[in-house]
Amino acid sequence: MASAGSGDEKAAAAAMITLISSDNEKFEVTEATATLSQTIRHMIEDGCTDGGVPLPNVTSKILARVIEYCKKHATAAAGEEGSSSSFSDAAFLEVDRAFLEELEEFDDAFLEVDRATLFDLILAANYLDIKGLLNLTCQKVADSVKGKTPEQIREMYNIVNDLTPEEEAEIRRETQWAFE
Amino acid sequence: MSQRERDGQILAPNGSIASAKKRKGSPCQQDGDSSFLKQNGDGDSQAGETMIFSIPHLPEDIWHHIHSLMPLRDAARVACLSRAFLHSWRCYPNLTFNEYVFSPEAPIYGRDLSNAIDCIMRNHLGIGVKVLKLQSCYTSSRKLNRWLRVAIKPGIEELNLWLSRKESEFPCSLLSDGVRNSIQFLELGLCTFRPTAELGPLRCLTSLHLSQVRITGDELECLLSNSLALEKLDLSQCHGIICLRIPCALQRFSHLTIFMCARLKLIECKAPNLSSLEFLGKPAELSLGEALQMRNLSMYDSNVVCYARTELPSIVPNLETLDLCSGDEVVKTPMLPTKFPCLKHLTICLTPGGSFPWSYVYFSLVSFLDASPSLETLSLDVPTKPMKDELVSGRHSLDLRQMAEDQHRYLKNVKITGFSSAKSLIELTCYIVKNAVSLECLTLDTHYGSTTRCSDVGNEFKQCIPVGNSVRVKRRALAAIRKFIEEKVPAGVKLTVVEPCLQCHKPRS
Repeated sequence: MASAGSGDEKAAAAAMITLISSDNEKFEVTEATATLSQTIRHMIEDGCTDGGVPLPNVTSKILARVIEYCKKHATAAAGEEGSSSSFSDAAFLEVDRAFLEELEEFDDAFLEVDRATLFDLILAANYLDIKGLLNLTCQKVADSVKGKTPEQIREMYNIVNDLTPEEEAEIRRETQWAFE
Repeated sequence: MSQRERDGQILAPNGSIASAKKRKGSPCQQDGDSSFLKQNGDGDSQAGETMIFSIPHLPEDIWHHIHSLMPLRDAARVACLSRAFLHSWRCYPNLTFNEYVFSPEAPIYGRDLSNAIDCIMRNHLGIGVKVLKLQSCYTSSRKLNRWLRVAIKPGIEELNLWLSRKESEFPCSLLSDGVRNSIQFLELGLCTFRPTAELGPLRCLTSLHLSQVRITGDELECLLSNSLALEKLDLSQCHGIICLRIPCALQRFSHLTIFMCARLKLIECKAPNLSSLEFLGKPAELSLGEALQMRNLSMYDSNVVCYARTELPSIVPNLETLDLCSGDEVVKTPMLPTKFPCLKHLTICLTPGGSFPWSYVYFSLVSFLDASPSLETLSLDVPTKPMKDELVSGRHSLDLRQMAEDQHRYLKNVKITGFSSAKSLIELTCYIVKNAVSLECLTLDTHYGSTTRCSDVGNEFKQCIPVGNSVRVKRRALAAIRKFIEEKVPAGVKLTVVEPCLQCHKPRS
């Protein structure tokens, strides 16, 4: 499902990396896609990717989603490099804008997942050190507390209140403006 | 975010975390817990919103990151979720304060704002601050200095301070080794800034913006020669600077913006990669070394069109985009042999200062066209009421000035806004139509370039603002277009004439 080869000579010529999920599923991806992960980039630099990269913290379900994100954004990064030299050209700006809009739409659709998947994606992005994905997913959680009371937020994210009533009253006094 | 929760990060989602939810909270909270236990204790992770027990736990540093992405109000409410969140709030990294941030609907000012900020800063641990932005905040220097001491620590990336008085001096002593190694953006407004040669290097500083700051050219030079990573410098109304010298050691320096620095006499930039310049109020002397990378230039000043045509070809030979705005212009732009060999995009805006209607020979702009063999787009904004004797009307026949034929092979788009029937403007348009052999689009707009149209989304007044030239002037412009221009436009060129909107330009009965 993740193989980018499919007879395309150009893709076949590009270096491929095999990623192995916790449930032992293998995903073959291009180096450009894989190196959006700093963790994997370092492994490639150290030359320890022969025989595949085991990712014991990431399930196949989550890894497939992560690769989907990396593929899309690796293309975006390549596009940016290609057009940076002619940034003043209106035609290129138009293309860039259309591409960025498409990328934004992709990101929005990508985030349409249940909370458990979102958290698994955050953990995977953190473990694989994919900055863009980590920020994207964390921002979704950050946005979700908008207009919610502390009680609602605790319930949403299963957060244990270990403050004493006095401590909680004090911090609520201090941040009273945020509740008005 | 106890140890237990941290351990939970790599556990497969399961129901066991539910035990963590049992707490000494309010009774209704516990009721909520038990009902969730009953309904959702099976830990089915596909059920979405209500499946709170099936979600994995996140480690504390990720929660802190999420917390830091929240705007101030949300972040403050989240502070009372738990001890870990309270700690995270005490290290909240994005300290952006202005009148709206505390309550967007009811902005607070003066002492209220100062007290609200002080309450946060008193309790802040001064750890992990990445951004400090203080805007429209008037406070005592005692409080201010305390806030700065808390926030300006190694690791800070962005500092944006608008102090209240030019006399209040930014304490350079806070720019310690560590701070100088992390700060990337520095913006100071309304204060005194006295950097010295002893300051030491600011290794990460890429962007410097000074607005109404008391600083001398020498002091700025000390700072610049210590900021070798600098890419952008923005100076606005810094009247203490007479000579601005940018050393060649600033290899990455590319953008310079100068806004109304009235006493600035000399700009000398030796940085080899300067590519973009923007001026409001041009300096007496501009020295850019070889300026081979200079591509984009914007200038707003009186007589800047004539200045640009006369001086710029030798100063910035590789210019690609030129944007000129003039409020008061000499009558004619001179014809000269010098060229802009790379210029592709030219925008000229003539906005009269006080003395209009004025007389400007638009046709003399041919001088720019002839100097720019690579020109692709020309945008001309002439929101000017022409002199009466300059106007032609459809009733007249007219001998139009001609120039020696000169083909412009790359010019594709021409837009003239504020189009009137001024004779020399029509002559210029006819010249373009005749000589721009690759022309694709010609737009003649009888409105002012900056007009907000009644049909624009968000225009609450539902009328064109400003209405601009009288409807008679506009009608005369339309008649002149029909008579002198339309027939000359070749078949392949798309001519767009924007007529005055009938709703806002009702003819007087």
